[in-house]
Parts: sequence; C-alpha cells; structure tokens
Amino acid sequence: MEPSIVKKENVISLVEKQKSAVLEHSPVSAIKHVRKRNGETVDFDQSKITEAIYKAARAVGGDDRLLAEEISNAVSMYLKKLYKEKVPGVEEIQDVVEKVLIEMGHAKTAKAYILYRARRSEIRKSKIEALKDERLSLAGDSTDISLFVRTSDEDIVGWDKYRIINALIRETGLDFAYARKISQDVEEQIINSKIKMITSPLIRELVNAKLIEYGFENERKKHTRLGVPVFDAEQIIVNRNCENANVPHNPEATNMTLAENIKKEFALLNVFSSEVADAHSKGDIHLHDLGFIDRPYCSGQSVEYIKKFGLDLPNALSIAKPPKHPEVLLAQMLKMSAALQGHFAGAIGWDAINVFFAPFLVGMSKGEMRQLAQMLIFEYSQQAVARGGQAIFSDINIYWETPKHFADVPAIGPGGTYTGKTYAEYLKPAQDFAWALFDVYKEGDGVGRPFFFPKPLVHMTERFFHTEGHEKFLHHISEVATEKGNTYFVFDRGETAKISECCRLSFKLEGTDFDDAKEPWRMRYSAIQNVTVNLPRIAYLAKHDDAKLFELIDKQLELSCQAHREKKAFIEKILSLGSKGPLAMLTMKRDDYPYLKMHRATYLLGILGLNEMVQYHLGKQLHEDNDMLKFGLKIIAHMNLKAKELNKTYGMKLVLEQTPAESTAYRFAKLDMRHFPGETKQVIKGNIDKMEIYYTNSTYLNVGIELSSIDRVKQEGLFHPLIDAGALTHVWLGESRPSPESIANFVVKTFRHTQNAQIAFSPEFTSCNACGRTTRGLRGECSYCGSADVDGITRITGYYTKISSWNKGKLGELADRRRDINLV
Amino acid sequence: MVIKGFIETSFVDWDGKICSVIFLPGCNFKCVFCHNHKLVFNYKDLPDISWNEIKKKLLHHKGWVDGVCISGGEPLMDPDLLSVIEEIRDLDLLVKLDTNGSFPDLLKNLFKKKLINYVAMDIKAPLDERYGRITQVKVDLSKIRESIKLILKSRIDYEFRTTMVPGYLGKDELVAIAKEIKGAKKFILQNFNPKDTLCDNLKDVQPYTDKEMDGFKRAIEKYVEFSKVR
Repeated sequence: MEPSIVKKENVISLVEKQKSAVLEHSPVSAIKHVRKRNGETVDFDQSKITEAIYKAARAVGGDDRLLAEEISNAVSMYLKKLYKEKVPGVEEIQDVVEKVLIEMGHAKTAKAYILYRARRSEIRKSKIEALKDERLSLAGDSTDISLFVRTSDEDIVGWDKYRIINALIRETGLDFAYARKISQDVEEQIINSKIKMITSPLIRELVNAKLIEYGFENERKKHTRLGVPVFDAEQIIVNRNCENANVPHNPEATNMTLAENIKKEFALLNVFSSEVADAHSKGDIHLHDLGFIDRPYCSGQSVEYIKKFGLDLPNALSIAKPPKHPEVLLAQMLKMSAALQGHFAGAIGWDAINVFFAPFLVGMSKGEMRQLAQMLIFEYSQQAVARGGQAIFSDINIYWETPKHFADVPAIGPGGTYTGKTYAEYLKPAQDFAWALFDVYKEGDGVGRPFFFPKPLVHMTERFFHTEGHEKFLHHISEVATEKGNTYFVFDRGETAKISECCRLSFKLEGTDFDDAKEPWRMRYSAIQNVTVNLPRIAYLAKHDDAKLFELIDKQLELSCQAHREKKAFIEKILSLGSKGPLAMLTMKRDDYPYLKMHRATYLLGILGLNEMVQYHLGKQLHEDNDMLKFGLKIIAHMNLKAKELNKTYGMKLVLEQTPAESTAYRFAKLDMRHFPGETKQVIKGNIDKMEIYYTNSTYLNVGIELSSIDRVKQEGLFHPLIDAGALTHVWLGESRPSPESIANFVVKTFRHTQNAQIAFSPEFTSCNACGRTTRGLRGECSYCGSADVDGITRITGYYTKISSWNKGKLGELADRRRDINLV
Repeated sequence: MVIKGFIETSFVDWDGKICSVIFLPGCNFKCVFCHNHKLVFNYKDLPDISWNEIKKKLLHHKGWVDGVCISGGEPLMDPDLLSVIEEIRDLDLLVKLDTNGSFPDLLKNLFKKKLINYVAMDIKAPLDERYGRITQVKVDLSKIRESIKLILKSRIDYEFRTTMVPGYLGKDELVAIAKEIKGAKKFILQNFNPKDTLCDNLKDVQPYTDKEMDGFKRAIEKYVEFSKVR
C-alpha cells in the first residue's frame, strides 16, 4: 500500500488505529509482512487498506467507515488465504483490493480506487524518471530516489531515509512503524519539491512537522534541533549584545552569545520541566543565566586554597606547587579565577585577600606593596579571558582588622607551610596592602577612569571601629568612594560575618563555617542558580485581593523551588561524571570535599518590582506612605518564611536575594506591557514612548523620587535583614563630589542607625575616546576637547560599565535616577 | 521668619558633616555667576517655607543631620537671622553661615555670642576695582577686609571660597585673593557652572577644565594651610 493514499486530515485517526494495531500485533488471521516497491519488507498494516478503501468510497459519495472495515477484513482474509506465509508486494495487495471491491459489488468505489492507483503510478513514474535524469544515482541506496544531503558534520551524502528512521528511533524512542511512515512522508514531500540539494537541518524540520501532524509532541521536543536563524546569527556576529553590559563585542563574545542561545534552548527543553520553562517564557519567573545551564551561578572562596595546594587543576597542562612569592600567589589567584569563571556563570569572589596575602608581604617596601596592589587591580580589570572575552566578574573582600574568625588561625606562608604565627600577627602588612589597594583605586586607570573590576568590598564591623587607624582608613576608602565610587561598604553588625561577592550577594557564615574558618581553604561557597519572581504580575493577577496575592506568591516560590530542584539535578548529573565530566574542576578533591560543596550550596530566590507590586495592589508606592512600606515588609517577610519552609521540605538552602536585574527588570516590564498592558501602564517606570521601561529593582524604592539619602538607606535598609543572600543601597552621586569626611560620617551613621546591609556611592563620569581624558558627570561631549566620541560611565546595577552597552530598560532607569545629593 | 528655600540633606555644603540648608532671601550683591538669583530679585514671588515644616524634617533626621547651613541671599542682611539661629540651636543642631563678608559688625556679634559653629565667606575677586565687576554693585572693600580679618583671628571653624569665572578670574586674580587671606586654614576653589546664572550672557562660557582647576589650586597652595577644588 502506498502511504500517500492517506490524506492528511485523516492521518491522525489512521495513526491511532495503527497504534492499536501495533499494540495488538495485528490479527492472527492476517498476513505478517508486505514487500514494498523498493524491496523492503515491512509489517502488514490492515488499517492502511481500510483507509484507502474508505477514501475511495468517499471520492464517490460514500461515507460508511464500518463498511470500509468490513471490506478491508475481507481483503485481509483473502490475502492470508492467497499468500499464507509468503510476502505479497504492494501491487499484489492492491490487485486483491480491486478484486474484492468488485466481487462485493462496490463497482463505483472500485473504479475510484483503480483511477487513484493509476494516477499515483503515473506520478511515481514521472518523478522517478525526472529524478533519474537529473541526479546522480548513488550506489548502495535502497530508495528509489536519489538526491544530495548536506549534513551538519560538513559532508555531502546521498539520500537515505533510513537516517530519518534511525534518528527518530534513537533520539525519541518512536516505534519503527511510525518512524518509517514519517520517513516515507518526508521522502515524498522532498520528491514533490523537486529540490536537488537538501540540508540535514531542513530534513529534521520536515520530520518535526510530521511529528506535530501525527500528534507526537513529546517526540518532537526530543527531536528538535537547536540553533539560530541566519538573520539572528548575523545580528549577533555583527552587532553588540546589550543584555549584559559586561560583555564586550568581539568574536569571542559572539561565540558565547551563540552558544548561550543554544544552551538556553537546551535548558528550557531538556533541563526544566515544561511547567517551569513555560513560566520562564511567559515571564512569571525568570531563570537567570540559562545560557550557562551547565554551570553553577557564582562562587566565593579563599586564597588559602591556592596557598595550600598550589595550582593543580584537573586537565591542566601543567601543575604549580604552592607559591613562594607574592607575585606568584597573585598570578595563581588570577589563573584560578579565570579557571573558575569558566565553570561559573557569575561572580568569582575572594575572601579577606589582604589578610591572607599578608604573610607573603612581610618586609616589603611601600613602593613594592603599591606595585603589587597595582598589578592585582590591573590584572583583574584588563585581561579579558572569561566567558566570551569578558573580564572576570571579580570581587575582593577587604578587612582593616583581622576578622575575629581568622585572628587565631595559624597563618600559611610561602611554599604552603605554616609560618608559626597567627593571622592576627600579620595585621600590619594586611593593613598596608589594603591601603595600597585603595591608593590604586583612587588614582583610577591610565586615564583616570574608575576600575570596573575587581570590586572592593570593605567589611565594617564592631572590630573595625576598635582597630587602630580605622578613622584614617575610613577616610581613605571614603575618598575613593567620592572620587571614583569603587568602595562597597559592607556592614557586618554584631557577630555577623560574611563573604560578599557578585552584585550584592553574600554568604553569611554560620555554625560549621566557623569551624571551617580554622582551615580557611575549606571556605568555599556557591550559589547554584538564581530564579526571580515577577512580583508586579502577581499583583495584576491577584486583583487587589490580599489572600490571592499571598497565595500566588507562594505558588511562584514553589515553582521557583521546582526550577532549582531541576537545575540541581542537572548539575549533579554532570558532577557525577567526575573527572571525566565537564565540571571536573569542581569535583577535584584536594581536601575532604569536592571543590564545589553541593551540600552547602545555596539557591537564590530573586525579588523584582516590589515597589510596583505594592503600588498596583494598594495604590501607592513604597515611599509614599508608611502603610505601603509596612505592606512591602510584610510581603518580603512572608517570602522569607516561605523560603525557610521550602528549605525544610526539600533540604535545600533557598534564600531570598535582591536580584541585580540588569536585564530582568526590562524583560518583565516588556512582557507585562504585552500581556497585561492596562495594569502595567499604571505602575511601570521609565519612558513608555521610547519603550525604555523597567520595574524598580528588587526591594528598592523608586529611583526617581526626591528622597533624602538618609531616608533611602533607612527605609531600604528595613528590608535587608529579611534578605539573607545580600542587599545593597545605592547612593547616586551624579556630578557632586562630597568631602570624604561627609561620606565617612554617613557610613558610620548607616552602620549605627540602620539595618542596611551594604551601601555604595556612585558618581558618574564621561570618558573621552578622542583625547583620553575623564571628567565628572555624564555629558554628551568631552569638556576638554569637545569631541562627541565619549563614553558615559557609572554603575549599572552592582558594577561599573560604559553606558553605551546598556539595555533600554536600564537607560530608562538612568534617566530617572535621582542624584540624591544636591549640587548647590 | 521668611525662609525661601530648604534642602533636606546635603553632603557638599559642610565638609565632614551631613547638613540641611536653609535659604534666606535678599542680597546686596548681584554677582554675575549667581545661581540663587531668584533669592536676590523678586523673591517675594517664591513660596514661603514654614519653619514648622522644616523643623519636622530636622527632627525626622535627628541623629543623622549634624547641623544646618544658613545660606542665601546674604543671610546677615536678614532681620530674622538671629531667630532662625536660635530655633536651630534649640534643636541641638550646629549652625553654619554663608556670607559675602559685607557685614563685619553683625558677624562679630555672632562670634561674640558664640551662635555659629562654622562660617564660609565668599571672596569674589581681588580686593580692588575687579570686585565690582563681578558683584555688579559698588562694594565697600574695607568691610570685606574687616570680615576677612575677623574670621582669620576667630576661634571658630571657617573656609574662604572663590568661584573661578573664566573671563573674570584667572591665576593672577586668584593669587591676589590668596594673598589677602594668607595663612587661612581652608580655601575652597569652585569651578564656574554656566547653568542658570544671573547674567544670561555667561551661559555660553566654558568652565575651566579639571586640569586648569588643579593648576589654580597648586598656585595658591603655599598661601594657605589647606586648599581644594570642590
């Protein structure tokens, strides 16, 4: 029987029958096999006969399916009688059908059937003739057609539909019969199209179309091809990526973008359940760094690991012993950072670096110390080796005091051996190094611009204020804050100790961490993924109903948790490949644990647009009314509790985080403008006409309002204790240049009077590409030489970048940012 | 008490302090570069800000805001000045006064009564005919000299300030000013800002570059204890 007899609209019901027929292994009374025109022997399928008869009957006005089945049964029985165990050919079967139709008195149908048969035969003949004329015949091909296929692995081979069958069975587990049927359909379609050359991706798409047509949705997903349209590929290769401002534009970067696109699709199809993937695609939640699906999110660690073990990485071309000189320690730390960046999607942070460098710095002159500091900062900020030619997203944690948990820890010195002293005894060189680092930050790069990386995070603790010289150091880092903005002031109140990194992320030390602190190389903290909940959308859906609002929040957090479990399972699967797998580096065991301690890992629940959620739900923004602020706090407290509940249920450390939301604030805004335009327009921020729109980041207050910096750090700070994975308040300085004393004054008061977890001051700069000079403030042209070829520089979310690389949402926010400090 | 302007928090008006700023109307000068000219002319059209409203804000920022900077206009001309200072002091806040130095007697009185904690005096130009070019009124330079003398020998904290307006003041002028305040604890150089100046024709004047400002600072360093560009 020719599969082409079957018309498309009835294909699905035919397939259903085929399915049941296959399941029942066909009636015993029928013949088993049929020989096709090309000589291939295939299973006999009676439903094809039924369908063909039914079609012929309909062509002449009949519509009795039962009758068609009856005739078909007769044909089947006749065939069995005639051929017994032998295998009839297609033509022979068709002869029998004609005969039975005529004998049973269905002359009209018989005529239709015969005509149809003849027409098909003619088409077939002419096509084969045409193909034979036009194409080279390829040896060994069992099909009756021949054409060229350009394969994905850069080869040209002859047409062979068994490749389709093979792929379908191997990749999707589809039954042979359906695979064959689909291969035949596709073959026919290709013959009809009269093309001379076809690519294997196109064949795959044609096969996918058939899978859809026959209702094999799951099989189609598995059989999908990932990739990008030619147009997109050209856009990516030629134009700049504005989703992440840290990505440069060069071939390495476009490699990453292309790979990210494929991994993103792979993640949504293969790693996540369709429930999670759909929620992401619709914008209910945002799965961050999907393009880095095979990496954990970010990592904070200790230089002690390098000092103790040297640089001995799996699959490395060479192995280095523990360093003996400060420059070598720096070089190894840098290379370790680059290697780690290749295994993590986000930031690579280093704890207490000045403290741990100190044993290497004894006896260094001021000049040498300064030189080392300069090397460290330039090396991190200039080399573009990570993820698609980016700089490593790096953080260095700095302490003026010896942190309490390291004070009595035996210090590791050159060559990986203990020096016999504790870290408390290296306070002086540690402080000198911290000072030298900030000297370098103050000066800026070769043209006086602020360094983008590594980000210096200075921990302000009770101990800080009891350590000699803290006033001077605070003045020093405040001067850097006002001149260049680099300094992050991290507040560790009471007994809190943290290691901070990324845009604001921090890992709070607790319980066993303090045991680990005795052997600081054990201190390695990772977050596996960040999933952000679209809070404004929840408000739209809740329609001002409190109960519904909280119910939806829970639902989205549960879904986010599911997303985390799915990513966790995937990462664990890769990790289980051990030293043979792609994450070999993270499985290396230089101490009792693999480098990546999965059992200690955190999973981030991001917050976005609390301000707009409250604004839609209650009618006012967070800053407009104390009740709004209270309600906002209630929501975050609720989310915090829910996270803790999920921790218990799933034994995973789920924690709230202020999503940096460099692209998510824009993405959610865009999607909501499309799906909830009426609601969204009421609360969206930015410029709607230019589509430079955004939701307010995480738990922030509206960036555009006239609100004193004091109220901002106080009010935003109220949320910080509820956000375990770190929070930050920005003070946008604009052009103004406060005295370092005033900055220090403000920092101390923030430490003493608020619960704020971290603040940073962000000035703005214009850097001229023509004359190479940098001036304060954002300007359209250089104030020295008048050139319009300038880069504006300021903080995007948690780090510095050039404004030219920002996405539209962030540009909208920049225009709105209220420079809190007046210029009078 | 007529208050015409209020800034809740400022990091730039009082080095080392977080302060609020109150603007009192009326001035005897008409400086070409003045940005507060609305407080000089037609200030009656500006809405009054009630002391109660300001007080509420100051109390709200208790523990954060260290003091209040009284600016203008020329605050010493204002008949309400003493009561404003008193109100501020009642809130346990420090007081800073901005002045153009035209009223040494009143200043002396404030010093004597220990009513202010910091004074910032503007010196517009070298103390000769060039002064009037900037202030656009005839200035009794002896009063300016007297104020300088008074501040230099007073025990309270202070700063002198000069705004560098291209075309009016250059290095020579600045050095001449520095010599007048020789030995001063603090001398602040401010760059000219062309935005919304009293003299409309200054709007196209390019401010000095950062490098030029640094050069000015170096030129006067030897005359004073501390100087900086703000």
